[in-house]
Amino acid sequence: MFIVKYIKDIFSGIKSLLVGMRRTGYYFTHHKEIITEQYPDNRDTLVMADRFKGEVVLIHDEHNEHACTGCTACELACPNATIKIVTKFDITPEGKKKKAIDKFVYHLELCTMCNLCIVACPTDAIKMAQTFEHSVYDRAELTKILNKPGSKIREGIE
Amino acid sequence: MFNPTWAMTIEMVIAGVSVIGLFAALGLVLVLMERRVAAWMQIRLGPNRVGPKGMLQSLADTVKLLVKEGMTPDGSDKFLFNLAPYIAMMVAMLLMAPIAFAKDFRLWDMNIGVLYITAISSIMVISILMAGWASNNKYSLMGAMRSGAQIVSYELSAGLSILTIVVLTGSLNITDIINAQADGWWIFKGHIPVLISFVIFIIAVTAETNRAPFDLAEAESELTAGFHTEYSGMKFALFFLAEYINVFIVCAIGATLFLGGWMPFHIGNWEAFNHVMDYIPSSIWFFGKTFFLIFVIMWFRWTFPRLRIDQLLNLEWKYLLPISMFNLLLVTAIAILKWHF
Amino acid sequence: MSGSTIIFYLLAAITLVSAVLAVTTRMIFRAAIYLLFSLIGIAGIYFWLNYEFIAAVQIVVYVGGIVVLIIFSIFLTQQAGEQLPKQKMGRQLFSALAAFCGLALVMLQLAQHEFTGTGNKAVEPTVANIGYQMLGVDDNGYALPFEVVSILLLAALIGCIVIALKSKPEKA
Repeated sequence: MFIVKYIKDIFSGIKSLLVGMRRTGYYFTHHKEIITEQYPDNRDTLVMADRFKGEVVLIHDEHNEHACTGCTACELACPNATIKIVTKFDITPEGKKKKAIDKFVYHLELCTMCNLCIVACPTDAIKMAQTFEHSVYDRAELTKILNKPGSKIREGIE
Repeated sequence: MFNPTWAMTIEMVIAGVSVIGLFAALGLVLVLMERRVAAWMQIRLGPNRVGPKGMLQSLADTVKLLVKEGMTPDGSDKFLFNLAPYIAMMVAMLLMAPIAFAKDFRLWDMNIGVLYITAISSIMVISILMAGWASNNKYSLMGAMRSGAQIVSYELSAGLSILTIVVLTGSLNITDIINAQADGWWIFKGHIPVLISFVIFIIAVTAETNRAPFDLAEAESELTAGFHTEYSGMKFALFFLAEYINVFIVCAIGATLFLGGWMPFHIGNWEAFNHVMDYIPSSIWFFGKTFFLIFVIMWFRWTFPRLRIDQLLNLEWKYLLPISMFNLLLVTAIAILKWHF
Repeated sequence: MSGSTIIFYLLAAITLVSAVLAVTTRMIFRAAIYLLFSLIGIAGIYFWLNYEFIAAVQIVVYVGGIVVLIIFSIFLTQQAGEQLPKQKMGRQLFSALAAFCGLALVMLQLAQHEFTGTGNKAVEPTVANIGYQMLGVDDNGYALPFEVVSILLLAALIGCIVIALKSKPEKA
C-alpha cells in the first residue's frame, strides 16, 4: 500500500541518518582515533608505514657489495624510463670478461613509485625506501646514481 | 538634555553597539567552533597553530579578510553588488530584536515576536537573489535561483512547525511562549507531535540557512561558490558572517520555542528541583541550549552527503510539508483537548 | 522636531524616493529592488504606528511573496546587465497623467473628508483581537469577505494545478 511504503521510507531514512550521525559522533568524542601527523614538529619520532614508497635504492651490505647483475630487467619494466643502467665488463681473476654495472642511473623526478622495477628484479637488488623529503634546489640533483663508488657485486650472484 | 528624543537616540546607539559587538564575537566563536567540530568528526585535529590551541585562528582570518581588496567585477551592477552584503547583514541585525537572551533581557518585547521573525527572515532571500543577479555571472545566478527556490519552499515547513508551538501557547509573544514553559519545556510537554515538529524545524532551518547538506546556493563542488562567487574581501566576509549569525538566530529561535529559551530545566511541580535549577543564570541556559542546537546543525553538516536540487524539493514538498500539516492538526487537537502536560 | 517625527520623515522619504526610482530606472532588476525598498518603507511606517501585525504581514506578503515572485520572473525572462529601451513620449505622458489623476483623486478625498476625533477606545491590535475581528459574525466581523477571499484563492490554486498538469499523450 502507498501509505505504508511512505511511512516505511521515512523511518528507514531517519534510521540511516542516525547511523551516520552515530559514527561521526563516535569520532567526535574519541580523540584517540585522530591520525593526523603534525609533520615538521614530530620529525624525530615520525614512523613511516612499511608499504610507503619514497624512492628506489640499491641495497648495499657492509662490504659495499650489492646484488645487481646489470640485467636491465628493471629498466625494461619501468613505464617512465626512470632507470638507465650503464654496464661495463669486469675482468675476473680467471681472465674472463664479466658483465657488471657501471652506473645505476635513477631519475627521481620521473619516478611514480609504481614498484614495477622492484617486482621485476630477479636478484632483489633494489627496494623502495621510506624517505620522502626529496625537495632540492636544482633539478639535476634528482638524477641519482644508486651504486656507491667502489661497490661491486656480491659473490655468488649470477 | 534628557528629553525622549535623546533618550531614544542613546538607546539606539547602545543597542546598535551591543548587537555589532555580539556579531563580531559570534562570528569569531562560531567559525572556530565549526572548524573544530568538523576536524574532530573527520578524525583530524583542526586549527592548532595561531594562539593557544588555535584559538586565535578566526581572528587571524578576520584580519586577513579586512585587509584584502574588495573587488567589483566589470559588467556587474555595481550599486546592487555592493548593497547585497549589507542587506544580508541588516536582516541578521533586525532578527536580533525580539530574541530573549536572558530573563527580562531583550531589545524589543513585541506582541508578534514569532511572526516578526518569520517575516524578517523572508527578506534574507532578497540579498542572495540580489548578489546572484548583480554579479553578472552564470554560477552566481544559478546559485541564487536555487537558493530562492530552496528558502521559499522550506519557509513553509519551518513556519508550520513554529505554528505548532504558537497553537500550544496561544500567543505569538516570545515572553509568553517562554513563560508557558515554566513547568517543563514544550519538547517534553507536547508529546511526540512536538518532537516531530522540532525535527522538522531543525531540518527546515538548516535548509533556510543554506548549510550542508542543503548548501545548493553555494555548492562549492559545482558552482564554485554560488551566489558569492564574485565577492572578495570584506564584502565576502559580511556574507560569511551573516551565514553564521543566521545559524545562531535560528538556533536561538528553536531553543526559545522548543527548549524554553532562558527558562531553566523545570519538571512540573517539583519545587525543590526547580529551585536548584534556578541557581544557574538564565543567560547560561539560553546560550547553552542555543549552542547545543548549533552543534547539532554542524553535526548534520559534517555527516550527511549533499542533496541534489530535485531531491531537495522532493523532501520538502512530498515529505516535510504534508507531515508538518498533519502534525499541526494533531497538535491543535492536543491543545484543544488539553492533553499536554 | 522629536525623534519620532524624524523617523516618520525618514521612512516617508525612503518610501517615496524609492517609489520614484522604481518607475524611472531602466534596469528591470533595480526597479524590483526599489519597489522592495518602497514596500519595506511602508512596513516601517506601520511599525512606527505600532501596528506590528500589519507591518509583519506587509513584509511577509509583499516582500517575501510578491517581490520574490517578481524577481523570479525577471530571472527567468531577462538577461543580466541589459537596459530596457526608452519608452515612447506618448506612453510617458500618458502614464504621468494617469499617476497624476490618481494622486489628485486621493488628495481630493483627503481634503474633502472631515476628520473627526472619536471618543471610542482604540482596539488593542493583538493577534487574538485581530482573529476575533476577522472571523467574527457580528457587526464588526469580516467572516463573509474572509471566506469569499479564501474561495477565490482556492480557485486560483486549482487553476494553477490545471495549467501545470501535463496533458496525457493522445492515443494514436
